[in-house]
Amino acid sequence: MSRIHYSPVKATEMAKLLFKEERSLKRIDGWFLARELARKANEENGEQPREMKAALELSKILSELPISLSENAVFAGTQRDAFARTYALINPAFRVETFCGYCDPTSVFDDIEQNEEFTVERINSLREYTKKSDYVRTLTCVYDKYENYTAEVAFFIEQVTGHLVPDFRPALKYGVKLIMDGIDCRLSVETDEEKIINFNAMKLTLKGVVMLANRYADIAAQQAKTADAERKEHLILLESTLRKVPEYGAESLFEAMQSYMLLWQVMCLEQAPNPFAFSVGNADRIFEPYRKMSGENRDETAALFKHFLVFYNVGDRSWAISQNVIIGGKSNDGEDLTNPTSYAMLDAYYDMNVPQPILSIKLHKNTPIELYREMGRFFFTPGCLTPSLFNDDALFVTLNRAGIYKNDLQDYSVAGCQEPLIMGKDNGNTTNSWLNLPKILELTLNDGYSTITGKKIDTLAKKTDALTLLKNIRSEFYKNVDYFSTHMADAANGASKSISCLPVPFLSVFMGGAESGIDTRDTNRQGTKYNASGCLIHGLSVIADSLVAIDELVEKRPQDADRLIDALRNNFEGDEELREFLLSCPKFGNFNNRVDSEAAEVANRVSDIVKSKKNYLGNSFRADWSSPSTHLLYGYWVGATPDGRKAREELNYGVDPLFGEAGSGLGFRILSNMRLPFEKFNGGYASHFGIDPKFFKSPDNEGKGEEFKKRITDPLFFNEKNTNTSPFYLYVNVTTPETLRKVLANPKKYAPSGVYIMRIHGTFVNFLDLSPAIQQDIIMRLDLQSTSI
Amino acid sequence: MLKMKVQLLHKGFNFSQDGPGNRLVYHLQGCNFRCPWCSNPESMAVGGAEMTVPKSFDDKTLVNRLSCTEQEADELIDEAVRSSPMYFDGGGVTLTGGEPTVQFSAVRYILEGLKLNNIHTAMETNGCHERLPELYGLIDYLIMDFKHYDSQKHAEVIGHDNLITQENIKKALSQREQLLVRIPLVNGFNASNEDALEFVDFFKCLKTENCSFELLKYHEYGKDKWAQCGLQYTVENGKVSDEDYSFYIEAFVDNGLRLIRT
Repeated sequence: MSRIHYSPVKATEMAKLLFKEERSLKRIDGWFLARELARKANEENGEQPREMKAALELSKILSELPISLSENAVFAGTQRDAFARTYALINPAFRVETFCGYCDPTSVFDDIEQNEEFTVERINSLREYTKKSDYVRTLTCVYDKYENYTAEVAFFIEQVTGHLVPDFRPALKYGVKLIMDGIDCRLSVETDEEKIINFNAMKLTLKGVVMLANRYADIAAQQAKTADAERKEHLILLESTLRKVPEYGAESLFEAMQSYMLLWQVMCLEQAPNPFAFSVGNADRIFEPYRKMSGENRDETAALFKHFLVFYNVGDRSWAISQNVIIGGKSNDGEDLTNPTSYAMLDAYYDMNVPQPILSIKLHKNTPIELYREMGRFFFTPGCLTPSLFNDDALFVTLNRAGIYKNDLQDYSVAGCQEPLIMGKDNGNTTNSWLNLPKILELTLNDGYSTITGKKIDTLAKKTDALTLLKNIRSEFYKNVDYFSTHMADAANGASKSISCLPVPFLSVFMGGAESGIDTRDTNRQGTKYNASGCLIHGLSVIADSLVAIDELVEKRPQDADRLIDALRNNFEGDEELREFLLSCPKFGNFNNRVDSEAAEVANRVSDIVKSKKNYLGNSFRADWSSPSTHLLYGYWVGATPDGRKAREELNYGVDPLFGEAGSGLGFRILSNMRLPFEKFNGGYASHFGIDPKFFKSPDNEGKGEEFKKRITDPLFFNEKNTNTSPFYLYVNVTTPETLRKVLANPKKYAPSGVYIMRIHGTFVNFLDLSPAIQQDIIMRLDLQSTSI
Repeated sequence: MLKMKVQLLHKGFNFSQDGPGNRLVYHLQGCNFRCPWCSNPESMAVGGAEMTVPKSFDDKTLVNRLSCTEQEADELIDEAVRSSPMYFDGGGVTLTGGEPTVQFSAVRYILEGLKLNNIHTAMETNGCHERLPELYGLIDYLIMDFKHYDSQKHAEVIGHDNLITQENIKKALSQREQLLVRIPLVNGFNASNEDALEFVDFFKCLKTENCSFELLKYHEYGKDKWAQCGLQYTVENGKVSDEDYSFYIEAFVDNGLRLIRT
């Protein structure tokens, strides 16, 4: 039985040293080398079908990319070479006003620092080569065509990389050789030329991962020659393991984890330089069978997982953002699936407290109390990572209603921050499009002109007097939401077609491609069991509050209709009185029937509009009411709104009230929230509670975890009196603005390790790594009044 | 017909502090007592107090704002009914203040409405309204503040005697199956060892099997609000020593008076 010989204490010490090594890396150049090797492969192999070209590129990368093995490594492998330092929000120099999306696929070349090795000529050469690719040329055309709409973010679109949940379970169990054998069987009867090419390409990439394993095995063997006795013993084990997996099935926890990490590494390398937001999926269920085989106890299991966690951290700021590990949950039959590996993973997370990968926990009505008690330490330790929470009971209903078969429900997991996808079966193309409702309202009220720049964006409404416009605001607004959504869908489909120029044969194997012979990114034939495109919808409460404020103005002071339009155009300058009136109107989140009904209506109608739009395969877009810091970025491009919000201020986050507007406490906020049609949010949604720890009185963290269940998750998720579909997602930060200000003022005292974990949207971040604007946003959105208990 | 209205200082949920379970707590405006340590001094003035406060969450400019709002009693009842998903663990609605009985008619109307809808009711009162016993049948969980055993001392410090409170406590003990008596302990007012024994004496001869007691140590959480209301905070050295607090606890427990902490 393959078990490591290091004690849990020693293995932990090594994991921490390994993390320290990783965080000391200021340069991340592997992705550049990988793309150079891909170019070389193309030059060597000449014209090839796209799928085969991609496989040959990957094969070249896997055979020639420099690899190494740290003396602190228990496992072989890294995903470092797949990522560039591009994620703007964890860059302290980032400024909101400079953000223009990730629409230029060659801007990544600006992220590599020139030096003697990476000269300007070398960088520019690869940049120019990349610019000529079909992918970049077609994508550039799409962005150019829709620039008028995206420049001030009426909507935004992007080509989606990463953001899927592969199913590696068959590869762990049977080995990739058996998958290759299966492909051979299919090839023997396949007549479709394209599929034959695809199957062969997939096989080539599977051979590539075996080759990579053997390269690492060679290094282990070499290092064993000069290692001390303890290390030598481990290197011998590592070598034999790498000669076995992932080619053959794993028979121990160590083998399964090693196999998994190499598969992950190759999957990411295939999409270098930005394979963000792949998800491990239901990790405890994946690995528990192997733990049972080799019999590791809790500490031993946790020690191995500490190395697994370090694997997901890349470079000095843990650049591999939004990779999600999920535990807990229930089966299709309602049985609780928490297992010993779940708890060991929690131990690993708590002890390591690293910025990646993100931890999510699935809950359901019968989740054992022990899991809540173990969660307490995460919520109530300052600066510690906190899991985001999913409600299986409600999400099963939502997904089933959206067409997911009952047998697949337990396999949902989370790609990126909070988007629910079925492991290995669902290409949700999740962040493909982004809709900015408040910008559309601004354009509706101003005949298509931007109040930010004065530019004409489009001709939208019939010219009419202001009062008539305000009286008919709903019909005009929804008509324009539909109008912009249509253009958005066109643009998003264009981006999807562009990214399909870069097929992903290796990933496709684990997304159903080994059976279908279709690439996951194919825009003509569906390669995954489920397929859709995502649309992240922004500004729910700003719109609901604005529509109600317009009604109140029409009812109480109709003579001020023109004045309102002028005031919005002038950002309320010189008309503070009108702004005060607008601010005094009811706001979502305070359990006011009128505005809560409005929010429910907005969510209903806009979700339906989004659903009515079809993606490249004719499947519906999925409504995802989340705003991963984009409430800040997009708010910057939105003028003053009729709820009293000033120009360029941030929008509300996800489905939450606008910060500062829900001052009646958590109970009312939850009641308002319950009115929303969560069953229509099959693309996901975001919601955050900033919670003051003072409300939890138990003497220990376990007790506080139980209190958290009783006072937060039970009423929100499992409320027996809620007759609607319950909310199914939440993340929290349990802290106060004062605490965070102290951390910023004196990081050496409050975060001596240099890491103080907070959550923004679905991901962990090191609070100290963030740009000042994002830090202030986190502090502001704690909004403790809205969650006072 | 004129609709019944109620002046509210604040509303929101809390857990198990003012009655069992998770409760929607309405703070009613207006109070006939003038406790110098009051943590909600803006609640005292009938009709509301003018407060000087920061304009908003993110705008610290000082503005004047009235402490209370008005809500129709029927709306309040409707809101309370709609809020029932949040009454977990045996929760419900609590009326507190200010002093709720200052708006006696509205309070009675609301309690009747809540009971008609099978909502668990609680009320915290200073007990000095002579018609309070009329409400006993409408209140599932009654909390009475009893600040001093000596009515004259009470009147000197608080500006109002508490003879009726004492009577209402006795009536509650004889008529009800539940009562929580809260005693705020303030050094120099009622926190000495002698005071503890006098309190015990007051209750010793009464039927207290269904009564519980809570001793609330003096705090200064509301001190800033006195200034915001343009009022002077006059309490000095109000904090209760650990020794005096322990003596109190011992005196109550030794005499079979059941103490709780919420």
